[in-house]
Amino acid sequence: MVAFIKGIPARLLAAPLLLCLALAVTPAQASTDEAISFVKNVSEQAIAIISDKSASAAEREVAFRTLLNENADMDRIAAFALGQYLRTPNEAQRAEYRKLVENFIVKVYVTRLSDYNNEKLTILGARERGENQAIVQSEIRFTNGRQPVSVDWWLVQKNGAYKIFDVNVVGVWLAQEQRSAFTSVIRSNGGDFDALLKHLRTQISRAEAGEDINISAAN
Amino acid sequence: MKVIRGHGAAAMRFGFAVLFAISLTVAAPQGFSAAQAQDNAASDENDPLEPMNRYFFELNKFFDTILLKPVATWYDGVVPEPGRDSVRNFLDNLRSPVILTNDLLQGEWDRAGTTASRFGINTTVGVLGLFDPAAGWGMPKHSEDFGQTLGVYGTPEGAYLFLPVLGPAPPRDLAGFAVDQFFDPLTYIYWDRPKTVPMTRFVVNGIDQRARSLDTLDQIERTSVDHYATVRNLYRQIRKNEIANGQRDFNDLPDIDNLNFDTNEPDSPDMRM
Repeated sequence: MVAFIKGIPARLLAAPLLLCLALAVTPAQASTDEAISFVKNVSEQAIAIISDKSASAAEREVAFRTLLNENADMDRIAAFALGQYLRTPNEAQRAEYRKLVENFIVKVYVTRLSDYNNEKLTILGARERGENQAIVQSEIRFTNGRQPVSVDWWLVQKNGAYKIFDVNVVGVWLAQEQRSAFTSVIRSNGGDFDALLKHLRTQISRAEAGEDINISAAN
Repeated sequence: MKVIRGHGAAAMRFGFAVLFAISLTVAAPQGFSAAQAQDNAASDENDPLEPMNRYFFELNKFFDTILLKPVATWYDGVVPEPGRDSVRNFLDNLRSPVILTNDLLQGEWDRAGTTASRFGINTTVGVLGLFDPAAGWGMPKHSEDFGQTLGVYGTPEGAYLFLPVLGPAPPRDLAGFAVDQFFDPLTYIYWDRPKTVPMTRFVVNGIDQRARSLDTLDQIERTSVDHYATVRNLYRQIRKNEIANGQRDFNDLPDIDNLNFDTNEPDSPDMRM
């Protein structure tokens, strides 16, 4: 082998070697670049939605729901949030759960995100995780001297494109937070999946009632 | 989520000192028997005393509604922000010896240096700690406690525990809270004297923490399908993050590769945090 290599001019050797190096380096690089531009794009859209004061609460929700469905792996999130009860629901329950979870997430995070309107997200770095996942670290820096808020994005590829699986805000993974609440509801109701559906429905209608209160208070 | 940090560790840690004894005697018989009746279903969440914990959680919520929250709301409305900030700065500066001791016990020499410098600067230039000029000079404040130190040493958190007044206090953090009292000069200064000053500090600290998290805690309550379970999870995640001093560990995340509704995997995905 060594003898064989010695016989080849260095120039010819260098080309495949460089190619190998390039192949080894490029995919990872491309992938984290892709992850970063994905997060930039999604976060800019999200901030634009919550900062749009001319939109009504309902319009903001519609926009946020579209953004969520396009950029988050909602099926995986919904499955994850059931923890050990993943296979407890029957077909009909599962379909309703999937719908309610989406409503719930839209309601919850439109509310929680309203804190961050007109702020800017700064990307700190990105890394790959396994074959089809990536983590992007970022922070929201405030203009008013408030401590920056760290935001980590856990992305997973679906059909070749990155989707959001979970978001970590100042150390708290949001999907894990939801999972612990969802599984707790099912458990404390003796494994009854309908109890979770009922709680989700209540929570969604309470969020809607809360919006009404906010609107009437603002007027 | 801005003031979420205050939530687990401190927001519920308010001095209902008088009510403490009463609530204990009322709650204990019912709570403990319910806990014993509970099977092992809750073991995944490591919360074997869940019925008792939930009872105390509701109890704290009740006192929060009738007492702490109104007082904190009043304080928030009446005392202007610079005043509240000075209260916060003063209390934090007073806690410096505890933070410094724990910095040292964790071998965090740089952070220990920061804590010592902050104490020197803020006590003098910052007029007895009422102001925080050190933060502006590149020495931002951080917190430490002996619960975190034990966490750094690898001590597991233990079963979840929610206590009246103190709030979330699993064994590791409860022990840490007790040990921290011995790192605090005030404990020795008031050892055999009336505890007016330490108690006042405890109460004012509780009110200030609660006032700083009014919106956040409301939001969490309004957006939780199970408020108790959400607080439990938030407490654990926030403590984990505090122990790591904000350094993320992405290696111990749950495995999500084959996670979907049509999976043929056994019905028990990894439940660890």
